[in-house]
Amino acid sequence: MSVDVAQAPPSLLVCERSSFVEQNNRVGSHVEQLHFNYKVSLLLPECSSAPSHLDSVLKSFSSFYLIRKLPIYELLNKDFLESAVYHGSVYGLSYKTRIDEDTCVALMPNGRLCLSLDKHSFQLLGFEGTWSRFRPKDRHIVSVDLTDSSMAPGGRGYLRLLTGLMSRLPLSMDFLLSHHPGGGAYLQPLLSRYDWSEHRPEMISQVLPHLSCPSDPKSCDVQSFLEWLGAVDADISSENSSSSFLSSFVCPEPKTVLSRALSVSICGLLPPPDVHRLIQEVRRYLEQTRLETWASLTVHGFADSPVSWRDNEHGHLRGGENFYTLLMFQDHAYHLYLATGAHDTCPP
Amino acid sequence: MSVFMDLNLTFTEDKSVLQRMIETAAQLGFSTVAINYMFEPKAKKKPQIPAPTPITELMDQLPVVQGRSRPIRVLNRLTLVMSDSFHFRSTAPEYRCFDLLAVQPTTEKLFHAACMVYDIDIICVSVTERLPFFFKRAPVNGAIDRGVVFEVSYSAAIRDSTMRRYTIANAISLIECCKGKSVMVSSAAEKALELRGPYDVTNLSLLFGLSDKDCKEAVSSTCRSVLLHGETRKTASGIIYTVKSCSKASDQQEAPPQSETCEAPPSKKQKSSVTE
Repeated sequence: MSVDVAQAPPSLLVCERSSFVEQNNRVGSHVEQLHFNYKVSLLLPECSSAPSHLDSVLKSFSSFYLIRKLPIYELLNKDFLESAVYHGSVYGLSYKTRIDEDTCVALMPNGRLCLSLDKHSFQLLGFEGTWSRFRPKDRHIVSVDLTDSSMAPGGRGYLRLLTGLMSRLPLSMDFLLSHHPGGGAYLQPLLSRYDWSEHRPEMISQVLPHLSCPSDPKSCDVQSFLEWLGAVDADISSENSSSSFLSSFVCPEPKTVLSRALSVSICGLLPPPDVHRLIQEVRRYLEQTRLETWASLTVHGFADSPVSWRDNEHGHLRGGENFYTLLMFQDHAYHLYLATGAHDTCPP
Repeated sequence: MSVFMDLNLTFTEDKSVLQRMIETAAQLGFSTVAINYMFEPKAKKKPQIPAPTPITELMDQLPVVQGRSRPIRVLNRLTLVMSDSFHFRSTAPEYRCFDLLAVQPTTEKLFHAACMVYDIDIICVSVTERLPFFFKRAPVNGAIDRGVVFEVSYSAAIRDSTMRRYTIANAISLIECCKGKSVMVSSAAEKALELRGPYDVTNLSLLFGLSDKDCKEAVSSTCRSVLLHGETRKTASGIIYTVKSCSKASDQQEAPPQSETCEAPPSKKQKSSVTE
């Protein structure tokens, strides 16, 4: 009468090793396809302060807007569609909603509106949708392409969804919104009608003295390296001293002790083009620095977003992680690790 | 799935302890909690069931659930620890003040009656002692068919290591019998420190033999179905729903439309027109 708990919750890790000079490298497409990024963490070994060009890019991430109690039918508003959705890319995500508890809404830059609804709400809305892949019978996904001709304002599909959201299922929630490349100006028609606030991504930078670090990340075991990187980012000690029971994380062998390392993290609604720019600047830093070093950039997606890579469904069983770590070296080589939790499709 | 709920917070006379428990539950991410009034009828005479304290008296403003924008919802629940069959009176008016009704049977006969007959929402599985009886498939399946849910509480396991053994052993034998369906895991917390977050409870339920999906359901969907079952029980199978009206005049105005729309035989219809 015993229970087998040896089975850990499943998670997926996809590893890719290539070089930036390769024509077919897929870093750009991976970065583009994870639309909703919550946090970017950068680790630069043997660096005490970021050079000016890198620092300016870190501080120039686009600002985003938080609209309180936005009725979701406003995302179908004709003026909003014409000014923002059809021109440029809009990134929109419901705020303070949990993917495994509530209704979540996401507006993707390609014009897709995705609603993740529970059974009752879906039946009230009366619009076509599909079962959730991971929780059939509990969750439904309604995904519409707002740029498609069938969803043009005045069309049948458009009117049906609009009626559903206005009268049958009047959803209203806090919403994070950002527009690229236009910024707030393109969103002004929507913002002016509701209670909104502008936010800049929060940047935290710290220098870590005497950091134990793997001496050769290229040959290091992937799982232990990622575990060590996570411990550094979360400020958890990896000494594993016998007197402390708090953490038994260790730095993978063989290891060296760095005199200093710079850890920068930026939190907010971060659009992929800004992440792409940061990657180029980190590559420039690696080219210009005289030390033999490497850099690691981890981008975390929102845990409660209804989509992850390539508009695939994202769920939250015990951890809603969907992130990628880009380990860059001076010879333009890179290792890219894409990780997701249990209720997630395999990253591309 | 639905929101996370903890439907067993033990009631104490000390308001500050109760307030701290509700605040901690909101901080941990529970959207709904139920204050559990345990009652053990002792003597042969008619048991005096305590009336629940109104929620507005307990706390002026309910705290907002962490990570969401709504305040926590607090319900009242009654648990009867039964050692004899007359302890449960199905038509007692005192039960109406409570949103949920639970029973903790102490003998096999009572367990069978609770599963098959009694009009209740939750059957508590004892975790502080060795099970006095074995679970049989027939009554357990009967309870599942009726929508009655089995509850396992974990705070005894936090308090004491002997209780931990009993909790795990009893829970495993229940889940072997019911195959993980209709099981709810809640704390039976007496103070705020004994509460654990919903994902921690999910991990703990793995020890009881529940699958990944059932573990998460034990803190969310199953609790929601218990709440709906409680509402249905209070409203006579969902047919009549009584709402406190603001004035008597509106009551009288509502009466005639009902008699018009009902399918009554002609003799009865005539009678109602005479009284109008």
